Amino acid sequence: MITFENIDVVYPNGYKGLSNVNLQINKGEFVAIVGLSGAGKSTLIRTVNGLVPFTSGTLRVGDEVVDPRSKAKLRRLRSRVGMIFQSFNLVTRVSVLNNVLVGRSAETPTWRSLLGWYRAEDKELAFQSLERVGIVDKAYMRASSLSGGQQQRVAIARVLAQDPEVILADEPVASLDPPTAHKVMRDLRRIQQELGITTIVNMHHLDLARSYADRIIGMRAGEVVFDGPVEEATDAVIEEVYQRSLTAEDIVAGDAVPGRAVPGRAVPAAKLQD
Amino acid sequence: MSTRKINAGPGSTSRPEHQRPAQNSEAGQPRFAPDALDRRPVRPSRLGYNAGMLVVGILFIAAIYGTGMDVRALLDLPASIIQYGQLMASGVFQIPEETVAGYWSQSFDAMFESVAIAWVGTMVGALFSLPLGFMAARNMSPLPVYVMVRFILSVIRAVPEIIFAIAIMLPLFGFGSGGGGALAGAMALGISSIGTLSKLISEAIEAVDGGPLESSRASGSNHLQLIRWAVLPQVMPEVIAIWLYRFEVNIRASAILGVLGAGGIGSLLSTVFGARDWDRIGIVLVVIILVTMVVDQISAFIRHRVIHGPTVRNGGGEPQEDDDDGAPSPGPVSGSHSDTSVEQDPAPKSARAAAGL
Repeated sequence: MITFENIDVVYPNGYKGLSNVNLQINKGEFVAIVGLSGAGKSTLIRTVNGLVPFTSGTLRVGDEVVDPRSKAKLRRLRSRVGMIFQSFNLVTRVSVLNNVLVGRSAETPTWRSLLGWYRAEDKELAFQSLERVGIVDKAYMRASSLSGGQQQRVAIARVLAQDPEVILADEPVASLDPPTAHKVMRDLRRIQQELGITTIVNMHHLDLARSYADRIIGMRAGEVVFDGPVEEATDAVIEEVYQRSLTAEDIVAGDAVPGRAVPGRAVPAAKLQD
Repeated sequence: MSTRKINAGPGSTSRPEHQRPAQNSEAGQPRFAPDALDRRPVRPSRLGYNAGMLVVGILFIAAIYGTGMDVRALLDLPASIIQYGQLMASGVFQIPEETVAGYWSQSFDAMFESVAIAWVGTMVGALFSLPLGFMAARNMSPLPVYVMVRFILSVIRAVPEIIFAIAIMLPLFGFGSGGGGALAGAMALGISSIGTLSKLISEAIEAVDGGPLESSRASGSNHLQLIRWAVLPQVMPEVIAIWLYRFEVNIRASAILGVLGAGGIGSLLSTVFGARDWDRIGIVLVVIILVTMVVDQISAFIRHRVIHGPTVRNGGGEPQEDDDDGAPSPGPVSGSHSDTSVEQDPAPKSARAAAGL
């Protein structure tokens, strides 16, 4: 369980990233955070693992209170919280397996990391993670030789190798084409359901958020302005969050919702999954 | 995908050519009353540029007169080139009977000693430059360390390797070919290499993509793990290229250091020069040029290979998508547009390396 209590984030340049955020995200929940760019989605997600330190309030991940000033505590926290990124952020010049093994960093003695001499059980875990996202055959290829969708799955495998309680995903499918975006979202959803990992995903595609999440959080100007189950996040509600009417740019369409993108309607009303 | 674009180069001109006539006909008949935006701009002043050129010229002439150079000596230059050239060529092209063959092998031996000195010096520089490069990179080390290492490096860079050799190394290790002189030369080259190598490496480190660093940090890596798995894989090709380039520089420097007594081809050159033995000087020069060129070529080949990889990668398709918008900018001449857009991917790195080195 993750709890935000009166969390504020003020960046060193004085910009207010988050103001007075109060949230409770339950264990095993799949939460999508929507909002226009600059609304504070990335800031919110990065406060959870301390990549962005919050400036006031109390943040708990599980039983532990997050302390952004203690480096050792942050490292321990980050070993339990995996994160994937819009631009995949793989080390493209090394093998897929070594990218996944970066997820074992927190559990591996530094000298082993430096030599690249990982324990057999860590390697086994890395292979299992690759199998779970279905690209174990690419283990010894350079990450740069993979397609975007495959790279993002390597990133998911790296997170799985951490054996995390929480997965944070910052616009994980924004640089992928619609069919691939759906594949990656399905992977995330499947992993969340199979392993019961709390998953928080930033996204700007409403149809993806509605198709895959349990709950939607809407943000505007650093504040949480909507928080509720997917059913409540109607077009009208989201238009209120965005402060504008919905457009075709708010959906990704693609293979999972064939024929649902009705002309004249920005967002398919029916959900895919039920 | 980008490879296909190269092939499509000449064929892809059709689109810009279609658009150009349409544009011209519109430009031909203005439909609005001309306003401030339609006025032709005034030619900008070139006063500063002209004044700059004038100052450069004046400084050039002043420097010649100030140092008392006798420019008329240049008039004799062609004659002396022919005279000394003949002297040296007669040495190089004489039939290599026993003594002359001895000169050649002696020159090659001395040149290989110079290359060996340069190699040892480069290794010493490489060994120290990597950790110092990390300490001198702003994104990798705390401010006090950064400031101090940068200062030390700039002091090292301010001292030419010749000074290191004369003032420190030669007195420490002794003069002459073989043994002391060679070690002194290698150490002088090593230390002065550290200065430039560390600076260039630190700049490469500062330019790494922050994405892998962030993901590595987010998985709980500590600083050393982050360096090993997020930074080193990104900078290593460039670092190796920087080391190799310094090796090429060090070969020339070690030939010069030899003249001062640090062994190698320089020692031989100063000996034969002292005797004004022109045919042997010719042989020595030919050997220097030959070996340096061969080593340069090999090193440049490896550098290129390390930076660009064994094959041309079809990297980064996304940035090129822009030209699909059909921007009707003044039609680029056939194919040149697609050529440049293909080159964009490797360009920044190699350009940076070229500028830095």
